[in-house]
Parts: sequence; C-alpha cells; structure tokens
Amino acid sequence: MAEETLVLFKNIRNPKYDKSLAGYKRSGGFKSLKKVFGMKPEEVVQEVKESGLRGRGGAGFPTGLKWSFMAKGTGKPSYLIANADESEPGTCKDRELMLKDPHLFLEGLMISSYAIGCHHAYVYVRGEFFPAIKTLNAAVGELYADGLLGTNPLGSGFKLDITIHTGAGAYICGEESALLDSLEGKRGQPRVKPPFPAVSGFNGCPTSVNNVETLACIPFILSDGGAEAFKSFGPQNNSGTHLVSLSGHVNCPGVYELRMDVSMKDIIYDIGGGIRDGKKLKGVIPGGSSSPVMKADEVDVLYNFDDLAKIGTMLGSAAMMVFDEGTDIVKLLHRITRFYAHESCGQCTPCREGTHWSSQIIQDFLRGNGSDEKLKRLYRVGGNMLGTTLCALGDAAAMPIQSFVNKFPEEFRKYYATL
Amino acid sequence: MPFFQIDGEPVEYEPGEKVLSAVLRSGKIIPHYCYHPGMSVVATCRMCLVDVIDMGNGRPAPKLQTACSLDAMEGMKVETLNQKVEEGQKLVNEFLLVNHPLDCPVCDQSGECILQDYSFKYGSGKSEMDYSKRVNGWRDIGTFVAMERNRCIQCSRCDRFTREITGTNEFGMFNRGHELTLDTYADRPMTNKFQGNMADICPVGAITEKEFRFKRRVWKLKKNYSICTGCSSGCNVTIEHDRNEVFRLKPHENQNVNKWWLCDEGRLTYRMMNERKTRIPRPLGRVEGNLEGVSWEEAYGAIVKRVKELKPFPHEVLALTDTRASNEELFLLQKLLKEGFSSDNIFCPLPKWGQSESDFFINTLITTDKTPNRAGALALKIKGDEKNAKLKKVIEGELKVVFILGNPFEAESEIKEIIKRTQLVVHLGVFHNSWGEIADVVLPGQYYSEKEGTYTNKHQRVQSTEIAIQALRRTRPEWQILAELLQSLGQTSCFDSVPQVFAAMVQEAKAFSGVSFDEIGSLGIELKNKTKDTGMKVLVKQA
Ligand code: SF4
Ligand code: SF4
Ligand code: FES
Repeated sequence: MAEETLVLFKNIRNPKYDKSLAGYKRSGGFKSLKKVFGMKPEEVVQEVKESGLRGRGGAGFPTGLKWSFMAKGTGKPSYLIANADESEPGTCKDRELMLKDPHLFLEGLMISSYAIGCHHAYVYVRGEFFPAIKTLNAAVGELYADGLLGTNPLGSGFKLDITIHTGAGAYICGEESALLDSLEGKRGQPRVKPPFPAVSGFNGCPTSVNNVETLACIPFILSDGGAEAFKSFGPQNNSGTHLVSLSGHVNCPGVYELRMDVSMKDIIYDIGGGIRDGKKLKGVIPGGSSSPVMKADEVDVLYNFDDLAKIGTMLGSAAMMVFDEGTDIVKLLHRITRFYAHESCGQCTPCREGTHWSSQIIQDFLRGNGSDEKLKRLYRVGGNMLGTTLCALGDAAAMPIQSFVNKFPEEFRKYYATL
Repeated sequence: MPFFQIDGEPVEYEPGEKVLSAVLRSGKIIPHYCYHPGMSVVATCRMCLVDVIDMGNGRPAPKLQTACSLDAMEGMKVETLNQKVEEGQKLVNEFLLVNHPLDCPVCDQSGECILQDYSFKYGSGKSEMDYSKRVNGWRDIGTFVAMERNRCIQCSRCDRFTREITGTNEFGMFNRGHELTLDTYADRPMTNKFQGNMADICPVGAITEKEFRFKRRVWKLKKNYSICTGCSSGCNVTIEHDRNEVFRLKPHENQNVNKWWLCDEGRLTYRMMNERKTRIPRPLGRVEGNLEGVSWEEAYGAIVKRVKELKPFPHEVLALTDTRASNEELFLLQKLLKEGFSSDNIFCPLPKWGQSESDFFINTLITTDKTPNRAGALALKIKGDEKNAKLKKVIEGELKVVFILGNPFEAESEIKEIIKRTQLVVHLGVFHNSWGEIADVVLPGQYYSEKEGTYTNKHQRVQSTEIAIQALRRTRPEWQILAELLQSLGQTSCFDSVPQVFAAMVQEAKAFSGVSFDEIGSLGIELKNKTKDTGMKVLVKQA
C-alpha cells in the first residue's frame, strides 16, 4: 500500500496549519536557518551534496554540484534565483508550495543564499500565478518586519534581500538563461551556453537558478540528521521525497509527496484511486508533456529519475498525465504540439519552423488528410528538431512526436485508412 | 599557437577562440548564417553544425555541435564533411525554406544570397512542405533600406547590428515561435546613418538598399577595389558597375580602416561617378572672351606660349588645389611649380576638422572633413592654414600665372575676385565650377573611379584606387595632364604611370620615404613619418 511521506507537505497536510510566519515558526520553522548561520557556507554546500538532492525542475541535476560550480573570487556579486515559472503542462507542485507554505520555500531560499554567498535573491514567478504572487509578497513582508530579511538576521551578520519578480507568462522563461534575460528586462530567450549561469548569469554575474521545490527541500536537509534521512527516502542516486502532480483520467488527481521508490502502477491505482469510470488505462505521459509517452503495459516501473531513464523516458518535473482507453491520441499530440509551437521563442531554425510544421501535419490527420507518407514526414520533422536546437525546447517538442508515432501508429492510421 | 584538426588538417586558433572563427580565418568554409565576426554569437541558425569526433580528451561529442559557439581546444578533431553533418545541414536548410517565399526571380539578393547558395550546395532540392506559407509583408524600415519580411530567415544579424554596432537600438524581434518577425520599434523608420550595412549583412533579400532595388541583377556587376572619397576616413569599398555605369558601392573589409562597414552618405557618392551633365567633356580655351572646345595640343601650346610671353617671377606664380586630389597629383603639381617656375606657392584649404568620439566604433567613421586626402597634402607640405591667412598675403602681390586643381576655396569669393585679374588662369578639373568661368584654359580631368591614384586617410594610411569605369574619351587623368604640362614647359622628367610618379614621390618627399607602391595592395599601408598635428579636434562624445 503506497502512501505519502511527508517532508515538504508536513505543514500543508495539517488542516489546522497557519501559513503565516508565526504559524510556520510554531511548527518548527527557521530552526535550520539558525543552525546554518553557525556553519560555514562550504559546509552547507557539502551537506546538500551529501543528501544527493537532484533538481526538481526537470533536468535532475545534483543541486550541491551546481552550487559548487559557481565562479568564486570574481569580485562580482553572486545571485540566487528561484525559478518559480512553473509552466510545464501537467505540473502544479511549486504553486502548492508557494500558496500554502510560502515560508518553507523562503527559508530554503535563505539558507541557499547563505550557502552560495548571495545577498540579493530573486523569485521569478510565473505571471499567471496571481494568488501565489500575493502570498509570496505578504510572506516576504512578514520576514522583513520580523528582521529575518535585511541586514543581520538572527544576529548572524549576514545580509539578504529578496525580490519577487513576476514574469509575463512565457513558457520559455522557465529555461534558466531565458529567465535571466527576462529578469534583466530583455526579451526572454535562451542564451548560448557556455558561458553557463554559474559563471556569467544575471547581469553577467555568477548565478544559480534553482527550482522552488528543490529549495523547499533545503530546510529539511539542513536540519539535524536531515541529509542522511533525505537520502534514505529513495534508491541510490534518487534521494528524497518528491512532489508528484498526478492528473488526467484518475479518480483522485492531485499533488502527492512520495518517496522515489514507489512504482507508477501504485501511483495510478493506489494513490490515484484507479482509472475514472472503471475504464482501462491507455498510456501515461510520465514527466510533463515533453517526456516520451508510455503505454499501459510499461507502467510497472519505479517512479524516479534513473528507472524511467532506463526505459527511454524521463521523470522531468514529475507531472504524470494519465489517459484512459477513450483518449484520442492524435488529438492529444496535436494539443501538445500546438503548445510547443506557441511557446517556441523562435530564434533557432529547427524549433521555430519544426514545431509549427509538425502541428500543421497533425492537423492534416485530424482533417482526414493523413497518409503513410505524412506519418513518415511527421516522424522525420519531429526527429529533425531533436538535438539540433539551442535549448531543450526543441527536444521537448520532438520527444512526444516521435514517441507517440512510435507507440501508437495505429491511432494515426485510423484517421486515413479506408476500412 | 595551439591548433585543432578539421577534416584531418590542422587549424591554428587563438586561446578562447571559437571553432568557426578560427576555421574562417584559415580560409576554409563552414556554412553559416547568423554568425558575423563583428557581432556577438547567438548560435541560432544552426547551419554551422559540425561533428566533433574527439573533443580533445579522446571522447566524441554526443551530438552535432554548432561551430560558431564551440570553443576550440587543443587536440580537438572536427569533421565537416561526413554524412552526419551533411544530414544536419540538409535538415536546417529544409526548415529555412519551409516558409521562405522562394521569389528569387524578383529578389534583388538573388545571385549573392547565402540562402540560395547554401540551398544549392547543401540543400535537398525538394520540399515536402505542402501548406500555405507564412506571410508578413513589406515594411518601410528606414530612410536607406526597405524590408521584405517574408524572405527573412530570422538570423537576427540586423537586430544585433543596431544593438551592438550603432547602439541605436532601433530594430528588434517581435512575436514568438514561427511568427517571430524583425521590425523597427514603434513603427518608426530607422534614422541611423549606417543602414546600408544591414542590407550587406542580411544573408538573404529581406533587407535591401532602396537605392539599388530593381536596378541590376548582381551577377552582371563587375567589381573593383577602391576607397570611398566621401570623407577623410577612406573606407575601403568595391565599386560595382556594369556597362560603364556604377550601381553601388559596397564596403570591403579592412580591419585597420572601416572593419566591415560603410556609411550611407558614402554609399551615395556612387551617384557622382555616373554624373555626365556637369562634366567638362574636352579641353576648353578662351577665344575672344568665350570658352570654346580646343584640342589637347592647342591647349598645351597656348599655355606654353602665354608663359613664355609673361616670363613670371617665382612669386608671380601660384597653384591652388583642393585635398580631393590624389597624392601623385599633388606631388606633380608641386613639381610643376618647382621645376617649371622655381616657385613653392602651392596652397590648399586646411580648415579644422572633427571626428566624434564614441563607444561605438562605427560613429568614428564619419568625419567632418569631406575630402579624402588632406593628410596627403599635409605630408607633402602643401601650404595652407585654417583662416587662409598665408594665401591672402601671397595674392596681395602681383600674380601672372595661376593653376587651379579641382575646386579649392569654392566659397571664398574674395580670393576668386583677385585671381580673376591674373593674366593666365589654368584650371584642371572634372566638373564645371566657378573656377572654369574665370579660367583661360580648362583641362578636363577624370573622376576617381576612372583613374588610378593613392590617397592618405586620416590615420595617414596610404590607400590606392583602381580604374573601375572608362572615362569620357577626351579627358585625361590629372596626373597625366600635369606630367604633360611639365614636359611642354621643357622639363625632362617623364612619367607615364601612377607607380612611376609614386616612386618619384617616395624619393623626393620625406613623409613618403620607405613606402613602396607594391606594399599598398588592397589594404593600404601607414606612413612611417607621420604628420603630428593634422588639425583634428574631437567632437562631443556620442551616446
Ligand atoms: S529551441 Fe526553440 S525555444 Fe529554444 S532557443 Fe531555439 S527556438 Fe527558442
Ligand atoms: S532581416 Fe535579414 S538580417 Fe535580419 S533577421 Fe532577417 S534574414 Fe537576418
Ligand atoms: S552560424 Fe552557428 S548557429 Fe548560426
């Protein structure tokens, strides 16, 4: 019987929880921060490295390692940016954290700032998250009033400011370098790498961009024995609990906090309460709309970074979209492809032209103009975006196309085969 | 210098350099659209894909890399010709043509279009796109250029140009994804003075010069190296012409002078090369008060005869020249006075001139000195001062013979009035002007696109021009006229080519010593003995 493991959602799952600063402190908040102020920044980074925490934004890059890449001794300020531009279709976990327990995330942000020597952190929030923006602003206000932000919090001699910055609703601004451009007031589009943000990021200074959920894990990791405990929550290299955004045709959709050794089958049938209306499962998009699709017979696999990578798909942002036998695969793919065509920044050739062209081809199928040749063409156009673009959006658009055509070719044929 | 290998051949690179930059410098080619050596790397066209089979550590790169953004590394092995790369190039080109109108037959760029060339060389020759194409339409984006947005391949070179080169930020990217277009901000046409460069760097026919649109197919144009004579910067250009008509000037890269750029004003100087109406078509002599056509022999004969009659003392002879004349012409004029009349009364206007100081290099290209050879005149020690005080003193005395080269002191009616009274005024010039009206003999010269010559720019770099188009039949280059005058006046020196005159100048003029004509080549050479004060003052710094 799979069940939730409460680390990040410890407060949120408590119906009586008061998300104000006072409430957060009552439930044990800011103990870690206090402890951290007694440590050296390097020790904090080391602790995070040892916990095995991997970024929760989609790429799964080890967080401690990312911080240790930050250029030192440049004479320039370092920046920490919280990426709260959650916009991968199907993902809704960061919003929960920001809305329902803002201080947990902010404490994580503060500890991390201390770790990398950042004195001005930014939270780049997705523009459409109006309630979350309000909550965050209120929470930051409370912290300043309490003296936890600004100069010398808790007598530590440290100084930190936090600015909440709202985006304008572009998916591409979730890509870290596009986010930095946008934050600098430019048109948000990905930069050429190298240089990586750790060397030249916000305003050309060393910068780390971390996901909200990643930062929210930090207070627990830095609590006494936290790193060890965190590591124990999952198989090797897949530490900790993570927030799973379960959506689609299940009986109980929602955001759940799970260990990394729970199988997808259990998530769908146990946590999610099975498929809606007693129907059969057709497939799952495991990690946000860009991850390669899985068929019903593939779901008996542990839901974590490495086990999913082994079967040719990915955990991504842990947004699981479940669909039942009544789902029209071609329409589904059309929706996904249109999304990427709409959100491509358009600067690089394969993505700009390929996302639009492939959605045109799929539309052709929907209009009854499909053919074997067009199916091949769709596969080829999708593949041509794979690995040839500047940022990962090209890949994100290509992977669903190729996997849908690979795994459900008969669904496309249905649209044009003469019976 | 360290090196890496490209298709098995070593290529040297400077530490920190990117693969594409090093490869292009070595003279090899990797196809590219968005990369421009003068601007930042964006790596967005994805055309410069290469296969890195060894990253310098024995391991291959996992996928094709863009050479423009790839750091060169010691021991790296890069392939540009294998099947993987060919497929990559083919797919990028296919994508670029998906929404391209393919209107080459009516596009001015056709023939010098990189998209056309690459499609031919690297493309697949057929398209599988069978939906209607994106339509964005024509835009009047500036005073000098127009834009056909349908042809744009979104390489963003134009966007980076106004951001990084002119700093005017007039141009930018609008919309996202496949609707991405480039346009001016707030629908306002651009006003920067360097728009023509955007037409040059645009790899396709999206941005074209208004001045050149629909005038001539580019493959008909013949090209000659020359310099722009619009100001004292002496930007390097190619004069592009067909059937003896010049159609445009294009910048010719010279890192020491203009880099890749040329200003719009300079581009427009091509018009003068086609000017016929105000040209002096043949030698003219004054017969009973009227200027009438004469032969060259008659003209020279008349001059010699008058000189013999007048027997002027050295101080009664004067030569005036502008600083548009070439080094050789100035030198020969000086020689004519010295050897023919033992005089050194040779003057040119030398007003103060200015150049703005700017964070953007391109702004320093335009100077307020609108003549190409002031530094040459200074090097040859031709007299003159800001207020023309010395000249005014000379003309107070008696004058018998005056030579006028070009159109000097054009606005100084006072000087003209005095010279009008002189007994013999000889005018060498290309266009009819007010000096011709008071001259006794007018000798028709040739415009700088029609003759050879060297000019010394503001940095005292000597640069040469080639003969681009044929001059009017009865005109002669000024250096030749001056050499012939010297001979007619009984001097023995004999010059029949510009290099010959140059060689004599190197012998006789100290500033030019140590320079040889052959060294000038297409990039010029700086004088070794420089004039210290060129009369330049820095204008206010431009934003
Ligand atoms: S892959 Fe797409 S989104 Fe990413 S930089 Fe290129 S055009 Fe922009
Ligand atoms: S107009 Fe020309 S230079 Fe500008 S983006 Fe388009 S193709 Fe490139
Ligand atoms: S030249 Fe390298 S991507 Fe355009």
